[in-house]
Amino acid sequence: MLTVPVEIFRFKPGQAQRYDTFTVEIAETAHVIDVIDTVWAKHDPTLTFRRACHHSSCGSCAVRINGAEKLPCIVRLTDVWNGRNPIRIEPLRNFPVVSDLLVEVGDFFERMSAASMTITCEAEGFLPLTVDTFAVAGVLPKTVELPDNLSRFNRFEQCIECGICMSACPTMATDNKFIGPAGLAAIYQARHKTDDPTRVKHLLGLADGEHGVWRCHSAFECTEACPQAVDPASKIMALRRELALRRLRKMFGLRI
Amino acid sequence: MSTLNYSKTRQAARWFDVRRRKAGMWAYALNRITGIGLVVYLYLHLGVLSMLIQGQSAWDAFVGLARSPFYLALDVILLAGILIHGLNGLRLAVTGFGFSAGAQKALFTILMISGGIILIAAALKIFQI
Amino acid sequence: MSANAFDQESKPTVAWLWQVVTGIGLVLLLGLHMVANHFIAKGGLRDYAAVVAYLRNPIILVLEVLFLVCVTTHALLGVRAIFLDFGLSDRVEQRLSGVLKWIGVLTIGYGLVVMWFVIR
Repeated sequence: MLTVPVEIFRFKPGQAQRYDTFTVEIAETAHVIDVIDTVWAKHDPTLTFRRACHHSSCGSCAVRINGAEKLPCIVRLTDVWNGRNPIRIEPLRNFPVVSDLLVEVGDFFERMSAASMTITCEAEGFLPLTVDTFAVAGVLPKTVELPDNLSRFNRFEQCIECGICMSACPTMATDNKFIGPAGLAAIYQARHKTDDPTRVKHLLGLADGEHGVWRCHSAFECTEACPQAVDPASKIMALRRELALRRLRKMFGLRI
Repeated sequence: MSTLNYSKTRQAARWFDVRRRKAGMWAYALNRITGIGLVVYLYLHLGVLSMLIQGQSAWDAFVGLARSPFYLALDVILLAGILIHGLNGLRLAVTGFGFSAGAQKALFTILMISGGIILIAAALKIFQI
Repeated sequence: MSANAFDQESKPTVAWLWQVVTGIGLVLLLGLHMVANHFIAKGGLRDYAAVVAYLRNPIILVLEVLFLVCVTTHALLGVRAIFLDFGLSDRVEQRLSGVLKWIGVLTIGYGLVVMWFVIR
């Protein structure tokens, strides 16, 4: 068992924000979500937080651990605790805080919905169950050549809509109309799943514009923070390339 | 619903906060700092050029002053800003169109090392003058 | 019309593309400007007579004018990007762009006047 100090951001409507420190007795094998659970169960039942699956599938528990956005359900306690200083747990940035670690995600899901991100996805089910499938899942080293048609969906269905990229993105902090990395990545995905010109035009229209791909400052923090290797930054850049090429073709009177 | 929201100014200052952030964020912050510095310099430079309108004696007096070691040291700082901003700008242009976005960190390192080498060579040349 | 505020196409922008175009232009033109004015020139700076001779070369003059336009556009687009990060309303953003456009025109105008005084 370990005795771990943990410092948690607290806020309740009508009250000033503060940090509370708790000392938690917990097994060495615990994950950070277990620490939060223990604080709630044994120290302060008024602590508000969100969690469900405990295995990085639902994306609901995302917080900042020692300043960096993480899913506490897959972060081992011993990986973030230096054995001395308290582990600091704070809510995601760029979302209004409702209570303690709980943030308001309504606008975020509106963005994802606008970008056609569906809750149920095909989950790369079109792939035959071959050695490639295991390579994609990270079970085998990626020495196997992937089929051509896979690259554009590369781990894309993996987005669990945790909001971590939205918190890590410095642009998101400054423009509440910015579609954000998750939304733009979803637009890229939706755009590559359709050949319908009207649909493509609408999706690219969402991405083009002051609050779309051009607002991104290329800090690449979304890709760095994403726990699912969705790589939103590359998708934003790919959308930029397509938009720029379309504009160029239009300028020279070529068919788009 | 009453929620906790931070001020726009505090949010706008986020680009400056590189704590716990990776190379891309450092590059972004560096690009902004050097960019702001270069805009200030641009207008100072344009102001100084007004001496050209005042004629030969005003300009040649300034040239004499600008060749002092203090000004030359400032020139090295200016060149550092130009190299950081310009080389990182190339990285942003390349990755911004979807080319080698996955290699952005390696690109940043390579370009900054190249910039350092160019700066040292240029500084040696500047102080030889 | 969709009730989702994020499902609205906004006006396309070319600001970022211009930032890249002027940026690439600057790498070439600033390189030339620095080498010609500060590294080749004797003593790291041209005296008055040398500045006059330099700018009277028509090719140099064209390149320096291009440099002035590129550097001003790039600088002011950068300033605009920083201001946009203050979460301004659409109306204020439009006004800001208008003000910066005028600052740009005045800056380029001023630069041209200086060059005219030198070469006349």
